[in-house]
Amino acid sequence: MIKKYLRIWFYMSLISFQISLISRFGAVVFTLGKLFRFLFFLLFLFLLSSKIKIVGGYSIWQMIFFFATFNLIDSLTQFALREVYRFRSYVVSGRLDYILVKPVSPLFRLLLGGSDILDIPMILLSIILLVFAAGKISAISVFGVILYTLLVANSFMIAVAFHVFVLGVAVLTTEIDNTIMLYRDIVQMGRIPIDVYKEPLRGLLTFAVPVGIMVTFPAKAIMGILSPLFIILSLLIGIVLMFLSLKFWRFSLRHYSSVGN
Amino acid sequence: MSVISVSNLSKHYEIHKKEPGIAGSLKSLFARKYETIKAVENISFEINEGELVGFIGPNGAGKTTTLKCLSGLLYPTKGRISVLGLTPFDRKKEFLKQISLIMGQKNQLWWDLPAIDTFLLNKEIYEIPNNQYKKILDELSILLEVTDLIKVPVKKLSLGERMKMELIAALLHSPKVLFLDEPTIGLDVVMQKKLREFIREYNKRYKATIILTSHYMGDVEELCKRVIVINSGKIIFDGTISNLVKQYAPYKLITVLFKEYVDPKKISDLGIVKRFVYPQLVLHVKNDKVNDVASDILKNFSVDDLTIEDPQIEDVIREVFHKSNSQ
Amino acid sequence: MKKYMLVAKNTWSEMLTYRLNFVMWRVRTVFQFLTVYFLWLAVLPEKARIGDYTQALMLTYILGTSLISSIVFSTRTIDIGEEINEGNLSNFLLRPVNFFLYFVARDAGDKAMNISFAIFELTILFLILKPPFFLQTDLLFILFFIIAIFFAFIMYFFVSVLLGFIGFWSPEVWGPRFIFFILISFFAGGLFPLDILPKTVFKVFELLPFFYFLYFPLKIYLGQVATSQVLVGFLVSSFWVFILYKTVQMVWIKGLRVYTAVGR
Repeated sequence: MIKKYLRIWFYMSLISFQISLISRFGAVVFTLGKLFRFLFFLLFLFLLSSKIKIVGGYSIWQMIFFFATFNLIDSLTQFALREVYRFRSYVVSGRLDYILVKPVSPLFRLLLGGSDILDIPMILLSIILLVFAAGKISAISVFGVILYTLLVANSFMIAVAFHVFVLGVAVLTTEIDNTIMLYRDIVQMGRIPIDVYKEPLRGLLTFAVPVGIMVTFPAKAIMGILSPLFIILSLLIGIVLMFLSLKFWRFSLRHYSSVGN
Repeated sequence: MSVISVSNLSKHYEIHKKEPGIAGSLKSLFARKYETIKAVENISFEINEGELVGFIGPNGAGKTTTLKCLSGLLYPTKGRISVLGLTPFDRKKEFLKQISLIMGQKNQLWWDLPAIDTFLLNKEIYEIPNNQYKKILDELSILLEVTDLIKVPVKKLSLGERMKMELIAALLHSPKVLFLDEPTIGLDVVMQKKLREFIREYNKRYKATIILTSHYMGDVEELCKRVIVINSGKIIFDGTISNLVKQYAPYKLITVLFKEYVDPKKISDLGIVKRFVYPQLVLHVKNDKVNDVASDILKNFSVDDLTIEDPQIEDVIREVFHKSNSQ
Repeated sequence: MKKYMLVAKNTWSEMLTYRLNFVMWRVRTVFQFLTVYFLWLAVLPEKARIGDYTQALMLTYILGTSLISSIVFSTRTIDIGEEINEGNLSNFLLRPVNFFLYFVARDAGDKAMNISFAIFELTILFLILKPPFFLQTDLLFILFFIIAIFFAFIMYFFVSVLLGFIGFWSPEVWGPRFIFFILISFFAGGLFPLDILPKTVFKVFELLPFFYFLYFPLKIYLGQVATSQVLVGFLVSSFWVFILYKTVQMVWIKGLRVYTAVGR
């Protein structure tokens, strides 16, 4: 079974890659844009650091580490879940029906069917920045790195859970673009450590919409300033969210009404 | 042995209504009125293996909704469906591997890539063994005359060629049950004929059970021995076309070409005048009166030509809907 | 004239029909605002300064740019690229409707809706967050402010239209627009007030049209621009408006030639 899904993922990624080659120009432009976005915010952080020493208790390199973590998770998510952005066109064109009628989990196809190879440079860039920034902060332990990796994997699971939820909403209402962009807007609040935000926003960002858990916690864990309680809490929340979103997806399929009757 | 069994199937939708103008827009922002649409209401039928059944009805009658319920896309509001012994909405792998859905003018092929890429992906999805895949691909592409086109990007193919590729993509896994939703819509006359021939041939060769929805009479006439007529979500007729004609349009069309001018008053006694533009007259005459009327005309009028035909299916169907609407 | 009023009105209604769409859009705008607001709240605790900005001044700035961006950046011209690609442009060419006036009218409807909501949201946020707010009383500055906003409208409209015109030659209409948005996020002053940049960099920014979208109008409102500087700014803006107008004209004619040659 796993072999079948791996093969299908491979074929779908191949197709996605071939298609992206056809609109090379557009693909390059987008990658350039993302690069600019990354660089500009970095420049902004440096601009700040030239005038301000500490932001909310964190040194500039710690801030950069938080930003790099955000970027890693964001670009990893976008790479894997790129297909979700195409969902709307599938509904409109009727292609969604074809997807639902095949003996492969539709969720699998709708989430992972379009991995875009052009997202990989961003992932690599984030990792480079991460390593660089880590070098500038005080001692990083091996244990910290393991914890970090674990929590980043958990963050990815939370991101997937959100996207499943978004797909569920889209199946019910055909509204997706704004939901996704809303998710992105909220997550990008994690470009800076969320303890910088005042309550109640901080509480909301940690628990209601777990940006804090997704982006800030892994970085804090590696810096050794995250309590074990929160580590466990993060993992639990990840699992619960995944479970709930899958339930919601099944619910939304029951109420699917299809297009073009 | 029934392959498809539907009992008391209903599918209802909720849609909202909006009043026109700015006031209406603002109102709908806060409080929406919902209305229940009964797309399909309490229908039942059985279909046996190898049958080729046509679902006909006007737009919005419920044909496509029924088909989508049968293929597992839509969750029935009420009633039970069994296809190949399985419940469609459960979406079990064994069920999905044996059915196929083809929707006219809706593509499952990747637009920018050659059709073969879609075929390969489908091969993986349906877990088709290599030699079987090759065999079927060859058979189908020869049957459809597209062997040298499978490596051409789909966007470069003509509409007809694209449709053929869609067919191959949908049939690679040798489905036992085929759902065709308006397959000939938008195609030119030649292509429509070719497609119908292919479907007929496929049904004969592979003994696949095929349900076809259409509002083109040509599809129905050429392909289906059995038709199910749907209007407003209800089945009005389920049986053979000849029975349909006998029940709803028990008449023949007599077309007369007059040699000399005829007084219209004399015509009206013969039967129901469909059209009379000298020199041509078209009459509807009840089956049992056809011979008498025909000989009457030949006896009493000067006639160049006279033909007796069955009623057009279109007119028959129109008659069926007319009757069901007025009930 | 009447038909354009109707276009504006219909745009307004259309936005209300896609209510979820629109509400989501507003919610997103609020979140984007909050991100920047709280970032600065953290960067500048009570007594800190950056450049000439105290916390109070900075927060006023952020609030101000947020309101102005609702006015300047709300537009329907983003549809243009797609309309051309899909062949819908033919509808305009066949009817007695001026393409540009149509989109100006669409924008009027769009801006009206966005401004209404922006004022509503910012009022609520204002009551919750209670940032300091500066009310300009000098009529001259208010006048200059309004003129600056108009310049901003027009420049942004033209640039956006030009980006849409890419559709005449390529199906890639979203890529360049995406880059444009990224550039705006940094160069227009929505993330940070441009005068905290080093002097030389600031001088370069001053020459770009982005400068006049958010930063310039807001600084005028705050009364922090000398009259002579305002006039220089208007001069640069006029220059940009002129260049952009001429470019739009030229590209429109060239583009139509390509469009009709393809025979859509």
